[in-house]
Amino acid sequence: MSCSNLTMLVSSKPSLSDASNLSFRSVLNPFQLPSQNSSSSATTPSRSLISPLQCGLRELRTRIDSVKNTQKITEAMKLVAAAKVRRAQEAVVNGRPFSQTLVEVLYNINEQLQTDDVDVPLTKARPVKKVALVVCTGDRGLCGGYNNAILKKAEARIAELKTLGLDYTVISVGKKGNTYFLRRPYIPVDKFLEGGTLPTAKEAQTIADDTFSLFVSEEVDKVELLYTKFVSLVKSQPVIHTLLPLSPKGEICDINGVCVDAADDEFFRLTTKEGKLTVERDAVRTKTADFSPILQFEQDPVQILDALLPLYLNSQILRALQESLASELAARMSAMSNASENASELKKNLSTVYNRQRQAKITGEILEIVAGANALE
Amino acid sequence: MTLNLCVLTPNRIVWDSEVKEIILCTNSGQIGVLPNHAPIATAVDIGILRIRRNDQWLTMALMGGFARIGNNEITILVNDAEKGSDIDPQEAQQTLEIAEANLSKAEGKRKTIEANLALRRARTRVEAINIIA
Repeated sequence: MSCSNLTMLVSSKPSLSDASNLSFRSVLNPFQLPSQNSSSSATTPSRSLISPLQCGLRELRTRIDSVKNTQKITEAMKLVAAAKVRRAQEAVVNGRPFSQTLVEVLYNINEQLQTDDVDVPLTKARPVKKVALVVCTGDRGLCGGYNNAILKKAEARIAELKTLGLDYTVISVGKKGNTYFLRRPYIPVDKFLEGGTLPTAKEAQTIADDTFSLFVSEEVDKVELLYTKFVSLVKSQPVIHTLLPLSPKGEICDINGVCVDAADDEFFRLTTKEGKLTVERDAVRTKTADFSPILQFEQDPVQILDALLPLYLNSQILRALQESLASELAARMSAMSNASENASELKKNLSTVYNRQRQAKITGEILEIVAGANALE
Repeated sequence: MTLNLCVLTPNRIVWDSEVKEIILCTNSGQIGVLPNHAPIATAVDIGILRIRRNDQWLTMALMGGFARIGNNEITILVNDAEKGSDIDPQEAQQTLEIAEANLSKAEGKRKTIEANLALRRARTRVEAINIIA
């Protein structure tokens, strides 16, 4: 009696795809087995729906757990990047007295040398036949488009040089760039260098030595530095700077020949405003009044310039490395914060689905009990 | 009259305090600087800086740069500076040997320039230790 009643209930609502009905039917299945021959064609499609649903709850739970774990990791990476940005900023601040004094001295010597015709190896502009590109990339990924952007810039520059009919060679700095250029053997690479966690004068010195010897031995006639300029925490920009030949006026020109005056040095500074990290850029116009007018040059001014320009070269490279690192960390920070946001949204959606299914299952079980009790009456 | 010395490298301030006298390696030879020195600007060679502080001599290895003296203020800008007491003698000696070997192996103009620079740096570091001893 009860058995026939239940089968009737099932066959009366075969078209319903409601979850409660499905789980209800799954429990009913063993009862149905003896009389299944007649209704087998009707139940098979619904049965295939049952199995993913039954596992669905467990699957959903594992998915929610894995999303939770991922969120934890991205959150931690974001915090680490934030802390490192602050350290990168400290490094810039520590280098400030040096670069400030250097710019000051260079500026003054240039004033005095303005009339002279200086001839220093590092400033000699030769007709360009070969160009060296120093490409600064990061050591690790998971930082959005940071590495791609700079490598794309390098590729674009290489294509440009090719159309101009110029020879080129690449000095790659950073692991990401190294793997990129190693996979492309048709791009001539002069040297692979490792970036290191915090750029110091040693790293800058290695790059400077390399470019210096390349330039002085006349193997290349121009050295360009490709790095990511730190504009703000959410914006960075891959740029090209001409490193050598150094203009004797202490100016560096970008690729369009627009001069960036070294005396007008910019420093970036991170500050907290209303609890959020912000960036301040301040241009430092160096004072030159305290420089003694009766200053004597121990050596020939040209020799002094010769000693100063490598220092200037080094500090330029160091600054580029520091800016690249700061950009990388900022990029990682925003990428990771996006990832955390996405994870929390995914978690929310999954939890909603999970709760709905769980509720549906409970409703189904209650229905089953009620139906059973009704049948017994 | 006091003399103030400030040694700067791109990433830190190595020395910033009062001294009695210094001996500096310039491109045109060594010069000694006492208080009230005439204002000069000079290129600093890869070499040793000797500092006198109350009858005590300290040495520092300088990796080439620039110095400005005037108004009892000495500002030295160098690529790298290491105090003699901070250098590991064994490591410095090894570096020197490697640099010497590299120079003898170097071929071509570019390699020779590089090797020569490295050798001079290594030699200076070794000298900075030996003066103390």
